[in-house]
Amino acid sequence: MNMKSLLVSTALGLAMLVPGTVLAKDLTVAIQNNLTGLDPTNVNDTLSQTSLRLIYQGLFGFDKDMKLVPLLAEDYDSNADATEFTIRLRHNVTFHDGTAFDAEAVKVNLDRLRDPANNLSRRSLVSMISDVQVVDDHTVKLILSQPFGAMIASLAHPGAMMISPAALKEYGSEIGRHPVGTGPFVFDRWSADTLEVKRNDAYWKEPAKVDGVIIRSVPESGARMAMLQTGEAQFVPNFPPELMKVVENNPKLEVTTSPSIVEYYVSLNNNKAPFDNKLVRQALNHAVDKDAFCKIVFSGLCTPADSIIPSGLAFHVTAGEYAYDVEKAKALLAEAGYADGFTADIWANSNTESLRAMQFIQQQLAQVNVTLNVVPLEAGVAAQRIWSIESADKAEVQMYYGGWSSSTGDADWGIRPLLLSESAPPAMFNVAYFKDADVDAAINGAIGTANPEERAGFYATAQELAWEGAPWIFLGVADLISAQTSDLSGVHMLPDRGFLLEDAAFAE
Amino acid sequence: MLSYLIKRLLGAIPVVLMVTLAVFAFVHLLPGDPARLVAGPEATAQDVEAVRTALGLDKPLPQQFATYLSNTVQGDFGTSLKTRRPVAEEIGMRLMPTIWLTVFAMVWAVAVGLLIGVISAVRRGRWPDYTGMIVAVSGISFPPFWLGLLLINLFSVRLGWLPTGGYGTWQHFIMPSFTLGLGVAAVMARFTRSAFIEIAREDYVRTARAKGVPERRVIWRHSLRNALIPIITMVGLQFGFLLGGSIVVESVFSWPGVGRLLVDSVSYRDYPVIQALVLMFSLQFILINLLVDVLYVFANPEIRYK
Repeated sequence: MNMKSLLVSTALGLAMLVPGTVLAKDLTVAIQNNLTGLDPTNVNDTLSQTSLRLIYQGLFGFDKDMKLVPLLAEDYDSNADATEFTIRLRHNVTFHDGTAFDAEAVKVNLDRLRDPANNLSRRSLVSMISDVQVVDDHTVKLILSQPFGAMIASLAHPGAMMISPAALKEYGSEIGRHPVGTGPFVFDRWSADTLEVKRNDAYWKEPAKVDGVIIRSVPESGARMAMLQTGEAQFVPNFPPELMKVVENNPKLEVTTSPSIVEYYVSLNNNKAPFDNKLVRQALNHAVDKDAFCKIVFSGLCTPADSIIPSGLAFHVTAGEYAYDVEKAKALLAEAGYADGFTADIWANSNTESLRAMQFIQQQLAQVNVTLNVVPLEAGVAAQRIWSIESADKAEVQMYYGGWSSSTGDADWGIRPLLLSESAPPAMFNVAYFKDADVDAAINGAIGTANPEERAGFYATAQELAWEGAPWIFLGVADLISAQTSDLSGVHMLPDRGFLLEDAAFAE
Repeated sequence: MLSYLIKRLLGAIPVVLMVTLAVFAFVHLLPGDPARLVAGPEATAQDVEAVRTALGLDKPLPQQFATYLSNTVQGDFGTSLKTRRPVAEEIGMRLMPTIWLTVFAMVWAVAVGLLIGVISAVRRGRWPDYTGMIVAVSGISFPPFWLGLLLINLFSVRLGWLPTGGYGTWQHFIMPSFTLGLGVAAVMARFTRSAFIEIAREDYVRTARAKGVPERRVIWRHSLRNALIPIITMVGLQFGFLLGGSIVVESVFSWPGVGRLLVDSVSYRDYPVIQALVLMFSLQFILINLLVDVLYVFANPEIRYK
């Protein structure tokens, strides 16, 4: 061995010992919470759903702006009243276990999900399908029991992603521990707080540029920040705004902000006085400074709301503006007979951000003599007192601060569960108990057609009417923040707080 | 001794049964609907009912308890409502990290705590005593949360010597076991010091000195041995608490342990996991108490169990 090769091997040996000089290019993502499961049809949190997009794909999906795109489907058409959808499938796609992806696989998946006996928690995505017909190897036809214009958007939801029929047969209800999909990465390991996936070299698109992805749950935000600084993690989605300064001062790190589809509001129980009076509801909207809300609650990373749904959702229109005007608010309250104001309870989940928001609303409404009692509720208690009530007339809630994100990216799931009169708890989430026959008609009209132009018309009407009816105090749409190392590209936050990692790549 | 141990273990059975019933009652009395929480924030009433049926939460409570008890006796702790993995597996993959962290933290903390305590007692009122007690009081007063982040910032971010968190090599143990053990070491030091000062007033210590036993022997044989009984009790208690997993340390160092699992399970109303964990913690305490009683015999041969 000559001197030169000795030096080289010593240097290589040293390089192996020094942490941080790992040669394999795995992407490590540090997230706050633990994943709850790996069966996409049976998980309910955005983090698990979005992580599963590494392994699984649906017939349709979303691009980084959350616009609907075909994935395992090539295209589709439907009849005029949205009761039949014919979907043509992509050729030459195989699952990770070698099973071919074809019309039969789609039928197995959709039949499994919609079968009530399977008790899958995402069943409502496809419960309106009454029959799945295999037309030929690469064409399926869905027959619906009732018109549903948002069908394709529902199929883009992660809950409707395609699982290998062979794996379903082999593992049955244990499929959540042995995920087999068609996605860019193959499942490797899931331990207490880490999910590891490896590149799928037989991917039907161009294989991923990173060798694998590791999703680690790191509950403490300071620790996620430290991992980014040491290079132990390269991407931190949902980054806390208070740490942005640290990242901005570090040349090796980058922070990105983008608008979300999470809109925040205070819902007012329209069944209960004084909120049964539209003038009162409108007055409260004039009494709250939405720009200040964004500054105080979200450090300015937020846009005031201009409709009942955020602008990032399909079919959004600007519905109007409740200008901040305390005098006008007072006049409206006087007109409604509440010149001396009133007292009410405001509820929200117990966390720092919600508390800050409730206190802000409390302070704003004090200007118009409305006294609020701030009541934070632990998540389990909130579930029981707000959502799992026996019937609408037993609802105790007066005001509720919360947010909503439409996980199908469509106006339907942004409006129907929240403002259709039939959606009052316990059925769905109309915690304002808003009941407006014209809004109901518009929402149902939109469901009754698959024609995008007609749907747009119905949703514009619904937004304008509901805005004027003021079931909520409209607040703002929060921004998303993510941080990453500068050598990483191709990772994106999705507006629903999920993320896309398929195109991740490291600079050489 | 052996018959005593068997008697003690049999005596533990009613305690465990009571704990089982109490925990079951307690988790089911907690306000909150687990089916709703499992079904997620977007679930319709129909989805929630599907989940309720799938999890067996639609059955009457006595029936649920009977099922739970008979399954538990057979060693089946059920399935986590949240992840749908077997509870035994959920706990299993987090138990060893917590046990190892506890052992590492206890070993250094007890050794250092004892040493500081003894030195402080022997040099009472002089600078080693003051230094020792300042260190001990600081150790108790340091919020582990803040200390943990400080250590990460220094040793991981600035110096790059240690990983920020996670469970893996021996390097991963250094900062969490230091953070976890610091409070214990401080308590041990204060406790040892006062126990030691107490003993030093005893007649046999004076006698030992009077008959010319070397000071070193007086300290380590005569005094420490007799001070050991309360110290062992204290170590046992601390050990039992730490085995429950430290939520703060496990969170700061993203340690996959049982403390975080318990907190997550409570906020998710994951009944089977909460029940199994609390049952396990109570068993751990019973065993540690037993162990402490046995250790008394070695510390003080006058103690006999019949």
